[in-house]
Amino acid sequence: MTDVKGGQKTFKVFRYDPAKGGQGHFDTFVLDIEDYYATTILDVLFRIQREQDQSLAFRYACRVAMCGSCGMVINGKEGLACKNVVGDLRTDVITLRPLNHFPVVKDLTVDMEPFFKKYEDSMPYFEPAQELQEPAVVRPDTWERKAIDMATDCIACGCCVSSCTMAFWHKDYLGPAGLNRSMTLLADSRDGLHDERLAAAMESCYNCRLEFNCTEVCPKNISPTRAIKYIHRMAVRQGPGLADRLTSTPEPKALPAPEPLTPAMSRRRFLSRSAIGLGAVAGVAIGGMVTVSAISAAFKEPERKWVSLGPLEKIMDSPGEVATIYANYQLADGFYKRDEHKPVLVSLNREKNRIIAFNSRCTHLGCTVHWDEKKKLFMCACHGGTFFPDGVVKSGPPPRPLERYKTQVKNGNLLVLEA
Amino acid sequence: MASVNKFDYRQPLHRGVLDPNRVRATQAGMWAWLWQRISALAILVFLVLHLTLTYRPLLQFCLLFTVSFHAVLGLRVILIDFGLVHVRYQKALLAGLSVLGLVMLAIVWFGIY
Repeated sequence: MTDVKGGQKTFKVFRYDPAKGGQGHFDTFVLDIEDYYATTILDVLFRIQREQDQSLAFRYACRVAMCGSCGMVINGKEGLACKNVVGDLRTDVITLRPLNHFPVVKDLTVDMEPFFKKYEDSMPYFEPAQELQEPAVVRPDTWERKAIDMATDCIACGCCVSSCTMAFWHKDYLGPAGLNRSMTLLADSRDGLHDERLAAAMESCYNCRLEFNCTEVCPKNISPTRAIKYIHRMAVRQGPGLADRLTSTPEPKALPAPEPLTPAMSRRRFLSRSAIGLGAVAGVAIGGMVTVSAISAAFKEPERKWVSLGPLEKIMDSPGEVATIYANYQLADGFYKRDEHKPVLVSLNREKNRIIAFNSRCTHLGCTVHWDEKKKLFMCACHGGTFFPDGVVKSGPPPRPLERYKTQVKNGNLLVLEA
Repeated sequence: MASVNKFDYRQPLHRGVLDPNRVRATQAGMWAWLWQRISALAILVFLVLHLTLTYRPLLQFCLLFTVSFHAVLGLRVILIDFGLVHVRYQKALLAGLSVLGLVMLAIVWFGIY
């Protein structure tokens, strides 16, 4: 890069001739540039106008990035022609296009009327709250001055409005520049039009979709996004009651409100508010009771019953090592009752005269396991889980051994505690 | 004033019109906005698919991914909206939260699920 000081560069410049009309087109100009880093886009435009096409129209004034006249879209990004250097634009072809959202007068020149209309709507003027002989000072170290920061540096070049897609979709949107200006005055404690200004800003500040395009393109490094977010937070704090405050300010034309009405109005308001309050309390109370009664049953620990599996002797006589016996009982879960008809696997150890009753529910996902007499394993058909005769997992996905029922023998019958 | 203008103005251009640099000029903040909208639609599609075609790991991952992506972008907006993070850190926030989102995604997918 240090070797290459300059060279040939191609520029595609948007052209629109109002005498001919139409949609406009791009003209291509090739220039020999001595030093890329010593040549601004504005220099390029001067040279094109001088050397190649005298009819090229563009706007400029100060040439030092302080007037905001030469805003345009350079390689797809808004910026000032006088501030952008050819060397910083790394493309072979540099495209120059007029600003978005403004009617094109000719070539790169746009009509800024819509911009200043929105700017005006944002009330960009200061109205002192008090009549003072000396100018009131906002000290540099105060919080409000720091909040305003460099936001007053705006030169109204229109780059931010051009970059903001929401300025296109929402026609009433004050836009980044207007809201930025609005914020500098909203944060100013000396301002006398605070409520009116806030109301105007709140009308449109929620059209911001946090795209940060305005912040990216601002040639003065202002962040209108920050300003808009500041207004959002101010609206949260001061927005409630804003409409009341605005209407309550005595207008010079308005007649003073009749005296006797005021207490009656406040009484009416008191009554209506008490009614709303009582309604809310009643609603919460009734709603709470309904909710509690509706969900409390689900939290109740279900009562467990002993379920009979039939005479123990008969079970001991059944063939094989494991007897599968169907237990029938009613299961209550909250309001929901269902009839259970499920197999209980009773492992019989005839030598020691002991039994173990297993829940046939597989500990993986709840399928019913069955006893395979040939393999001497409990098998689950769903995902291939297998268990040893003592219920311990042999293979497959089950995380735990089979559950065991509590058992007791009563009057010769085998009972298991339901689960 | 109006009578001075003998010629017609061209109607305003807007973003991307006659602009070959449209995609290149789109910056992080704009992408974040755009992708959050796209991911919202993707969530809608994947959620419906997830409810109709249950227990498909690929589909579940797609849903989880779009949800975490959407959540990351939403968190960024919330943090900036409430002034908890200064707007100047919006790009760092995007990168940091994306990493956080991927970590959470990995924890949920490999650890919990």
